[in-house]
Amino acid sequence: MSDVPEANDIAARLRQAASLPEVLAAGLDAFEAIRTAARHCQDQVPELFAAFMTTADAAVDGREALTIAPSLPLDGGAGPGAVVSTGADAGQAAGALAALAAVLRLRLTDAATQADLPDDRTACQDGAEAADQICQLMTR
Amino acid sequence: MTSTPVFSEFLGPAGEHITAAVSFRGDLPYEAQCGVVRQLDRLVATLARYLTDLPLPDGLGPSPALERDSAGRAAPAVLALDRASQSLRPAAAGAADSGDGVAHPAVGHLSAAADYLAAGRDLLHTHFTLDPAGARTASSYWAPVITSWPVTAALLSELASYAQNLAPWIARQSGARRVSPGALTSAQLALRNAEPWLALAGTTLQAAQRAHYPLPARRLLDAIPANAPPPRQPPSGIEPVTELCEQIPLTAERLRHAAFTFAARARWSPAAASASWRRDALASAITSHGNEFILRTLAERAGQLGLEPAFRAQLRDAAQAMERAWKSWRAVTEQWDIVTTGAYRGAGLTPAAREIGDLVLRTGRLAYRNPHWTPACAHTSLVRDPADLAHSPGEIITALSAVHHATDAINQIAANDHQAVLDAAAGNLLYVPTRLLPDTCDIPHPYTPAPRVHADAVLAAYDTTIDATTRITAALEDLAIAVNAPSSLLTAARQASIGTQLDQRRQHDERNAPRPHPVTPVPGRTEQALRKLHIRDPALLLRAAVIDHAARDLLAEATAKAHSRNIVSGPGSRSVPGLRQAPAPPARVASQDMPPAPRAGQPVAAMPGVSPARPVSPPATHRRSPHGGLT
Repeated sequence: MSDVPEANDIAARLRQAASLPEVLAAGLDAFEAIRTAARHCQDQVPELFAAFMTTADAAVDGREALTIAPSLPLDGGAGPGAVVSTGADAGQAAGALAALAAVLRLRLTDAATQADLPDDRTACQDGAEAADQICQLMTR
Repeated sequence: MTSTPVFSEFLGPAGEHITAAVSFRGDLPYEAQCGVVRQLDRLVATLARYLTDLPLPDGLGPSPALERDSAGRAAPAVLALDRASQSLRPAAAGAADSGDGVAHPAVGHLSAAADYLAAGRDLLHTHFTLDPAGARTASSYWAPVITSWPVTAALLSELASYAQNLAPWIARQSGARRVSPGALTSAQLALRNAEPWLALAGTTLQAAQRAHYPLPARRLLDAIPANAPPPRQPPSGIEPVTELCEQIPLTAERLRHAAFTFAARARWSPAAASASWRRDALASAITSHGNEFILRTLAERAGQLGLEPAFRAQLRDAAQAMERAWKSWRAVTEQWDIVTTGAYRGAGLTPAAREIGDLVLRTGRLAYRNPHWTPACAHTSLVRDPADLAHSPGEIITALSAVHHATDAINQIAANDHQAVLDAAAGNLLYVPTRLLPDTCDIPHPYTPAPRVHADAVLAAYDTTIDATTRITAALEDLAIAVNAPSSLLTAARQASIGTQLDQRRQHDERNAPRPHPVTPVPGRTEQALRKLHIRDPALLLRAAVIDHAARDLLAEATAKAHSRNIVSGPGSRSVPGLRQAPAPPARVASQDMPPAPRAGQPVAAMPGVSPARPVSPPATHRRSPHGGLT
């Protein structure tokens, strides 16, 4: 999927999440990881400044959406970790973030259809929307 | 291109119609005389309303800053216009239903002038609302500009020119100079009674504004828009450079309008939340980032065109200031990564946050080559070639103006957001997601109040940003003024607005200061002379009071001019030793500007509009001077 192994790890965690709380927790960590990575890359290439800045902002939107989902476990999960290594260039990072966001969008869209509580459903839909925006921003 | 009407669209035609009316040299037929009276009545009433709209000083005492108190010094003109109106009204009312004379060109021009002036006044009124107590309050960021002394003075100057244009024409039409001895018509009598008051109004208005307003004030007056944002035109399709440079100021104007109108409800609106502030900060960072590229490209182009090195250096300095600005905005966005006011579904964004993306896109498309530029990686592009951005020196100025407008709008939004964030911090409304805290924090809620260190960091980031945006705004203002860019109007508006705010603060301080015992206004020299002659006619006494007032203004102006001349020419220059002319008495000097005395055959008691039974108060700004005159 991506030539950045760290992104593959968190994408795998998203895919393996079996329950709504697990999807929400993994999704929240994915958004936070995307935000951190985007911030790391935003100053590398001037022409990509706007792309990474907006991606970080969209990741905050997604994280905020999931934060108020009733089914999100309140205790900390595994933690976001890094999705791109410090050595990755901006182009590689963009590709990795686009791929991760695509998985995130898919899992949250699925979760939205299966959620029982309206607030969980709305949280997943809003999160999927943020993931979709990240996907569009980072796809080259 | 703008579809929002501006004041000059009404003021200009009004002046043109008056000029056209007074250019009629023949004798008016009786029906046209009636029409002139009726339209003049409307015109004079509108002029008077303009003057009564001016912010008058508190109380009846003179303001310590008399040179700025145009409204106070225009008070005699209000009286004079009122008297002129009272002279015209009975005759106008008599002719109201007849529809006489409307076909005459002079009547048509006066009617159109009255219409335009009334519409112009309506336009100015869109910038104010009345609070529940009936006080006028600002409803746009143009309001303090409108009430600023330079703009007020420019308006007074324009109104004075109308009155001064009309008075001699009315005198001619009233039969005052005719040779044949026939009886005057009722319309001519009305015009004859009104003419001296109109002439006096013109003189007093001219003296009130003193022609001391700075030149940009007239441009500001002309540029006052109706208080309605230009229609939104989201970026769509390919906008060439010229169109981008036209659209960016309009987009910025919409944002300024949105920011001002929302500020009034920022304290309670659910949209006033971190989601909006975060959006504003992101857009400001990206826009400023693009603006830095534009400024650097313009500096390069200025070099290619061989423009002055100082100008190029100014552009480069501005680019550096812009770099500091976007970096400070970037720091603000990073603070909002963690801190939040919480997620409220359905709260939406502020109007400015909803539309600020338009500014991002247009600035980006001006900075980069790709006409479809967006922040997305797929639309990244190289920076424009200098010659593509600005082919000629004039296009450099146009692009610079666009950058200035965008930065000014961002500055305004930043100020509002800063205040809102300060309020949120003071109200302990800043939070952080619990899951982002260390595992040692066991908090059973999704959010927890932001630790002090986080809240302080947000506020510090805004402080730095406000400082940076202030600096870049100042740099762009200097540039705009240096090349007389269209956006230099923003500078004039800001300075006028600051002047008004300072005046309001001063008035507030004066209101709170202990007041001296009220001083009973006493007659000046002219009025005293009339009283010695046992003249009791209120109309004459009022005119005397007005003359005394004008004399004081004239003396003050003459003294100021003489003082400045002495400073310029140095002591003794252009003067002949021993040949010293005694100054004429003030009343005699002022008499050159006074309305003519009642003509033979016109009874004094019939002076327009003053009831003999009504006591007449001297103009509001008169008070006793140490030597007994009016000051």
